[in-house]
Amino acid sequence: MNALHTLWTVMAKELLEIFRDRKILINGLLMSPLLFPILILGMGSLAENRARTQLESALELPVINADLAPNLVAFLASQNITVEPAPKDPEALIREQERDVILRIDPEFADDWRGSRAATVEILHDSSRQDSQIPVRRVEAALQGYGRQAGALRLMMRGIDPTLPNAISVSHRDIATPEARRGMLLAFLPYLLILSAFLGGAYLVVDATAGERERQSLEPLLATAAGRGAIMSGKIAAACAFGMLALLLTLLSFKISFAFVGSGPLKGVDVSMVAVGKLLLILLPMVLLGTTLLTLISASVKTVKEAQSYMAFLMLLPMLPTIILLVNPVKNQLWMFATPFLAQNQLILMVLRQESVSLQQWGVYLAAGFGLGALLWAIAARLYHRESLAISA
Amino acid sequence: MIELIDLHKQFKTKAGVVKAVDGVGFTAKDGAITGLLGPNGAGKTTTLRMLYTLMQPDRGSVRVDGRDAAREAEAVRRTLGVLPDARGVYKRLSARENIAYFGRLYGLDEATIRQRTDKLAAALGMEDFLDRPTEGFSQGQRTKTAIARALIHDPRNVVLDEPTNGLDVMTTRGLREFLKQLRAEGRCVIFSSHIMQEVAALCDHIVVIAKGRVTAQGSPDALREQTGEANLEDAFVKAIGSEEGLFA
Repeated sequence: MNALHTLWTVMAKELLEIFRDRKILINGLLMSPLLFPILILGMGSLAENRARTQLESALELPVINADLAPNLVAFLASQNITVEPAPKDPEALIREQERDVILRIDPEFADDWRGSRAATVEILHDSSRQDSQIPVRRVEAALQGYGRQAGALRLMMRGIDPTLPNAISVSHRDIATPEARRGMLLAFLPYLLILSAFLGGAYLVVDATAGERERQSLEPLLATAAGRGAIMSGKIAAACAFGMLALLLTLLSFKISFAFVGSGPLKGVDVSMVAVGKLLLILLPMVLLGTTLLTLISASVKTVKEAQSYMAFLMLLPMLPTIILLVNPVKNQLWMFATPFLAQNQLILMVLRQESVSLQQWGVYLAAGFGLGALLWAIAARLYHRESLAISA
Repeated sequence: MIELIDLHKQFKTKAGVVKAVDGVGFTAKDGAITGLLGPNGAGKTTTLRMLYTLMQPDRGSVRVDGRDAAREAEAVRRTLGVLPDARGVYKRLSARENIAYFGRLYGLDEATIRQRTDKLAAALGMEDFLDRPTEGFSQGQRTKTAIARALIHDPRNVVLDEPTNGLDVMTTRGLREFLKQLRAEGRCVIFSSHIMQEVAALCDHIVVIAKGRVTAQGSPDALREQTGEANLEDAFVKAIGSEEGLFA
């Protein structure tokens, strides 16, 4: 009998047990493949629909002192903006989110206008509200258009070329690939994938060590002639296999649901079999890290409950790179591919955006990922050899 | 043959250092049943855990068939069949699968496992529930499953920690016959118990343990002689120094 045979025996038994537990099987294998596409596609189309209605429907805009600027009001109407009568307490309306945006025309507006001075209009809005961004931008654009028009007329009346004040003309050329623009909508896909890779086998792993001890079956197992390192490796291998299966199902469900997205911003995201394969390769070290880390924790705590109390903290870990990159966006550098969570985050985005990953980046990533996994494995194996591990009472 | 030589083991607890085993030594011969008798908390389980290499003694040594348990732990465990104090079985597996799992861990092939399982099931009287999932098993059925899986590799030495704990009278009687059968096959059998009637009925050699020390040992006759008591029960009480925790 050798270690490999033990590993295989333990792995087969752990998987047999989990596949007989229907509820855990459904939760572990089918929940994320069913939920994630609904989440992503649902949220994608919701955001898109909302933006489209906000851009295309008539914008209702309460205007204070509308009678002072009849020409401006008429211009706004031509821009698909319906002017409404002034409310009593405009600021309260904004604060209570009854209105996204309100326009206030300054009492001096008419005098200033006639005197060719800059006439003041005020846009009332709440910048912390995501929802009011598009309406505010529409109102701003309309006002600027009106102002430019009137300004150009004034210059022409004085015999001056209206383009004269524009010393430079700024234009944009967006060189983001269409795939990358779509990728922006998928910014949180890496988090979901990393999280399910990191903790997908969590139940199995915690149960196989802390659970076995609690159910008093670990001591008889460790009293057999099988080596402890091999027993532990079999449990880790089973959890890794389970985690990878759950990931494969999740990715396939993405592939299928993306195929049903006829148009819209998610169309054309790379979900070819090659991309799915790459994603699996990226997530494999993550699965290993999660299961070895949880084995390490399970071997050092007394109960399943105690092991589970670490879960809330572990769920936060994959979020860290997203948060750090949000606050401090940096260009991809080689060291990032050796940093767990950050590396997976960047690599998944690169694959989804159809950017090429260099051999050097792959090399650094896989060496660092599997290296860290091996280190955690070694620490967990040390803990597995502790005398107190088997003693349940 | 199993030799325990002057074993010591202490634990650090919140209340201070506890000397669980404080100089236990005895020899268990092949073809004989050796009984470890002592009240709960006397150090029986800790002694046995050192014997089946789950714990390292602070001092002293264990030799199984001439092999040192500290130096050749895996080889020693291979010649041991162990029923620990903890005897959890896997609920999602049938009794037969539980037994086969351990057989595979000992490197046995499937044909040998099947043959040994059937033989053990017949000897322990577990044909009725052999292929049922162990979820919902009675205490006796669980213990039988745990004993069968501990002996699947046909070990020369059998170590059972309180095997009759929680079993009904009929199952206990059946188990006694099974232990006698193991002895007749020439195996070295060690079992621990806090029930003196049981030890008295079965054992060729009795080791009385109290507070981590061996207070008396020998054959039932020798024990009566040593203590000067004609009744074995009185002899035990005298050897332990109190009656506490000795009755079933």
